Amino acid sequence: MKAKPMTRRDALRLFGAAGAVLGMGSLRAGDAQAQATGPGMPQPDEKVADTLKRLFGDRPLQPAGDKVKFDAPMIAENGAVVPVRVDVELPMAGDDYVKSIYIISDKNRRPLNTKVSLTPDSGKASVGTNIRLASSTDVRAIAETSKGALYETKREVKVTVGGCGG
Amino acid sequence: MSQVRMRVPEKATAGEVVTVRAMVSHPMETMQFNAGKPVEKNYNYINKVEATYNGRKVFEAETTQAVSQNPFVMFPVKVTEPGKVEITFHDTQGKTYVGQAEIKF
Repeated sequence: MKAKPMTRRDALRLFGAAGAVLGMGSLRAGDAQAQATGPGMPQPDEKVADTLKRLFGDRPLQPAGDKVKFDAPMIAENGAVVPVRVDVELPMAGDDYVKSIYIISDKNRRPLNTKVSLTPDSGKASVGTNIRLASSTDVRAIAETSKGALYETKREVKVTVGGCGG
Repeated sequence: MSQVRMRVPEKATAGEVVTVRAMVSHPMETMQFNAGKPVEKNYNYINKVEATYNGRKVFEAETTQAVSQNPFVMFPVKVTEPGKVEITFHDTQGKTYVGQAEIKF
């Protein structure tokens, strides 16, 4: 990279985000192993297969059937605000509960939209939020139990106007 | 903090699972790319959400740039006694936004 004034980098370093931006700049885009630290921090672009491998290793994604109800629009007018809702019909008590729900959009540059963590005090496993979709894509809701089982429901969401701001 | 709005049912009963809704005003600025290289823009978005009920952790979310502006979350809480739901949103610049709502029986 060309020499630049250090001020912006120093400022970012203060917030601990320098690793993400500098690392992203100097590494090739294909280096999926290089990840900024901290939850939700910017990741390198990733193909969904690599995202799934990184998150779940070789554990199988079982089709959830009715266990994972995934509500998302068939057609999203605005890819920047796509409401999604996941309701999981699995136990939520003691040592057998749904500990995480992942929402993953296959065609996003970084497929993981969000990872939600729950506890038995949640009472039931569900979450609703609004996500950004870059383009029409399959979106997956994956429930992970405290025993490590993974259940997946997939939906296709068509997007008329992409939501990732170019 | 007025940037966080929350909604909970007016009343609940012991053992009920209530739905908590929370929204924080936040631009969710993403990291932009130009021909494969990141633009050194000061991205700023909510990357973590935590909620407790009377001090017990009930919800946590790792949110990314692919969550909408003014992030909205809706999640369940099993209420065994009256009390307070507290939610904290963290952004990538280290700021936090806190909201509270009371659950009355």
